[in-house]
Amino acid sequence: MSKLTKVALGTLLAWIAVAALHARLNLGLDPAALFNRSNQAQGTAQFRVGFLPVTCHLTCPVTDWINRNSRGKGFYEPVRFSGFPEIKESLISGYLPATFMLAPMAMALRQQGVPIKIVYLGHRDGTAMMVRKDSQIYSVRDLRGKRVAIPNRFSNQHLLFRKALRQVGMSIEDVEMVEMPPPDMPAALYSKAVDAISSGEPFMAQTELDGYGRVLYQAKDVWPDFISCVLVVSQKTIDENPEWVQELVTGIARSGLWMQEGMDHRMAAADAVATQYYNQDPRLLRFVLSKPPDRVHYDKLSLARADFAEIEALAREAGILDGSITFEDYADVRFSEQAHGAKPWEKP
Amino acid sequence: MTFPGKAPGRDVHVLEAIDLEVREGEFICIVGQSGCGKSTLLNIVGGFLPASKGTARIDGQPVTGPDPKHIFIFQENAVFPWLTVEENIGFGVKRSSAKERRALIHHYIELVGLTGFEKSYPRELSGGMKQRVEIARALAAEPDVLFMDEPFGALDYLTRLRLRAELIRIWQQERKTVLFVTHDVEEAVQLADRVVVMGKRPSRIRAIVPIDVQRPRDLDDPRCRRLRDEVFEVMGFDHSGQRREDAASPAAALQEGTSEESSSEPAVSPVSVWPR
Amino acid sequence: MKDRYTAALLPLGVIVGFIAVWHLLVKLSGSDIFPTPLEVVTGTVDLARRGVLFKYIVASLFRVSTGYLLAVVIGIPFGLVLGWFSRARAAFNPMIQILRPISPIAWIPVAILWFGVSDAAPVFLIFLASLFPITTAAMAAVQNIQLAYIRAARNFGIRGLTLFRKVVFPAALPQILTGLRLALGVAWLVVVAAEMIAVNSGLGYLIIDARNAGKRYDLVVAGMVLIGLIGLGLDYLMRRLETLDEVRWGFSR
Repeated sequence: MSKLTKVALGTLLAWIAVAALHARLNLGLDPAALFNRSNQAQGTAQFRVGFLPVTCHLTCPVTDWINRNSRGKGFYEPVRFSGFPEIKESLISGYLPATFMLAPMAMALRQQGVPIKIVYLGHRDGTAMMVRKDSQIYSVRDLRGKRVAIPNRFSNQHLLFRKALRQVGMSIEDVEMVEMPPPDMPAALYSKAVDAISSGEPFMAQTELDGYGRVLYQAKDVWPDFISCVLVVSQKTIDENPEWVQELVTGIARSGLWMQEGMDHRMAAADAVATQYYNQDPRLLRFVLSKPPDRVHYDKLSLARADFAEIEALAREAGILDGSITFEDYADVRFSEQAHGAKPWEKP
Repeated sequence: MTFPGKAPGRDVHVLEAIDLEVREGEFICIVGQSGCGKSTLLNIVGGFLPASKGTARIDGQPVTGPDPKHIFIFQENAVFPWLTVEENIGFGVKRSSAKERRALIHHYIELVGLTGFEKSYPRELSGGMKQRVEIARALAAEPDVLFMDEPFGALDYLTRLRLRAELIRIWQQERKTVLFVTHDVEEAVQLADRVVVMGKRPSRIRAIVPIDVQRPRDLDDPRCRRLRDEVFEVMGFDHSGQRREDAASPAAALQEGTSEESSSEPAVSPVSVWPR
Repeated sequence: MKDRYTAALLPLGVIVGFIAVWHLLVKLSGSDIFPTPLEVVTGTVDLARRGVLFKYIVASLFRVSTGYLLAVVIGIPFGLVLGWFSRARAAFNPMIQILRPISPIAWIPVAILWFGVSDAAPVFLIFLASLFPITTAAMAAVQNIQLAYIRAARNFGIRGLTLFRKVVFPAALPQILTGLRLALGVAWLVVVAAEMIAVNSGLGYLIIDARNAGKRYDLVVAGMVLIGLIGLGLDYLMRRLETLDEVRWGFSR
């Protein structure tokens, strides 16, 4: 056997070894997971629900955690993503039957023809705009001519900011707006690359916790009952598995109510979710969920046309929606109505 | 083997009517100035170039392309660097029995004086040794004819002298038909049975000089010196390399083409090889 | 004996110097965010303790090796054919030259759409990144073969597939190997970008996730260091391949 053949054989064997190790360690010995494109349920296979490690999406892992602890197993598989673009693509390609997503982004997708429906909310409030503690910026007016970072033009932080500007008689042209991934925002503020940042938690709270950030405004100050993220489900899943969608919505409703019941619940959730799902420091989540206690709240999550009317108006003004779709097109209220009388979870 | 006819060379008319016969087992050297087309001629006969007119024949068969029975050795060494000396020499061996192959390869390694280097790679060998490998490889394929186009041209002077002697020794043992192109007249005189002298482009055969001296030849021998001078004379130089008047007197048979026009057929049709 | 020591000492000295300067700069800048070398080490140990380090390394190795080997198996024959048949080359080369400069990162949306969120997507990206250097190297290798070898082989009556197997391929191998080594470097480079796609393991994922997790920049740099070290190891393996007798002739001393 020539040396070259030996090298080729050796490489093949090495690859098999690595593949076997990988299968065992990372895939749980499931070779089908390599090409997991389908979103079909096969017997007791789990549905996937996408989320980002942000407070907006907390109810996603919390519901799963509660279910695993009380019933022994969850009824869906939470999938953690790094950014909204990947979530968007996975939703479009059918890989994700359901996910948490920015409300304006979901509406814009629906306008572009992607068959999805908003079925529930993620949370209320829970967003802020932060500036450096040592800066001279004390009100929105002081942002004139400054650089402000938002996650995405399809984010509610963008619309929130527009509303805040309008309230003091300014317009978007008076500031310089840049788009930036939320995880990069604290560092950008620290190094003065930008003058103000706005995204969902816990990135805002992180700047406070680390001692260099100060709240310019909270969402609840500008836009009471502000909605950032919503629960989106593909039309296909709604048609084929409505019972599962209902279970998900009801579960989330119950988790939200459970977290509102008391601070100890919130702290427990913070610890569990931070370590098991988010891979973040629990202190951070604890801080977000408690200081101040109404920084974010998880009740009143059912869909209401009125909430979305304002989003639609601001989005049209910002140019991300063109007014061709209506509430009925992008929202399906049946599940949220059914979850109305839900009681919080007993005990996890 | 016969090769009449003209040669290609795109728009350059390289060869004029060439008509030459070579007997089996003969050692022929072809000499001439640079650019006279001697390499072109060799390539045609070896099957690497098509003639624009006329046919080369070997054993009565026309030459249509490279053939393992007619092995070519070029000036640039073509020993395969990824094979050992052994594997190179065995490359063209046609025997099927493993025992015969081994014996054959071994015989030629010894013949060219490379015993002990069987497992070496060409990168470990000197230029002269690599040429020896190439010769051994050519011979191991048991060809009928060997073509050599200035095979020692890239080597240093002393190695060249040594390899010339080796080549004669090997040839005397194997007695293959050899066509050897060189620009070195002394080399031709030392090696050949007959020296074919070619003129300037478009070239013809100006003369064929037989060398009747016993081998191994001493170039200082007066007979050799005289033959060398004769070749020079035919080429149009004196023995110090100075040009003379274009003298026409050939020493032996010379066949001329019938016309100077480039599109005429050769006057004499090919004759087949006389077996020895 | 002394020579071997000094030879190893030189690069080691540079590395130690680099670490020292790094530490100094972080301390001097008073940065709260950028980790010192020590923090990177403790972060790595933490990962190892959690049992996550080995898993991540295996995951990245698996994806890189799968994508890369696929590119080798497809790219070498394809490149050889393109190098040998000028018609095929004229047909395919323009397309290849158009696709080649497109960064693998640009292919991420396409990868997700086609392969969803799974191992297949990063494997695809790594495959793409490796395919072009390998094909181009094989193609150039065949075109650069010394005519003398082909001439000699044809003289011995070797033709067609045998010619390819016995002469073309071995003669092209050194240049192909260089292309392979380059492509492996590119593949390993792309692993961070490829693992940005919501896979949940791997060194690239470690970096992205650590950055999402808040202030874990020590893990970010730890991931970078690990990637660098493994890349070094892979390159070393390839260089060892170049010392094989069948290809050594193609590399000058």
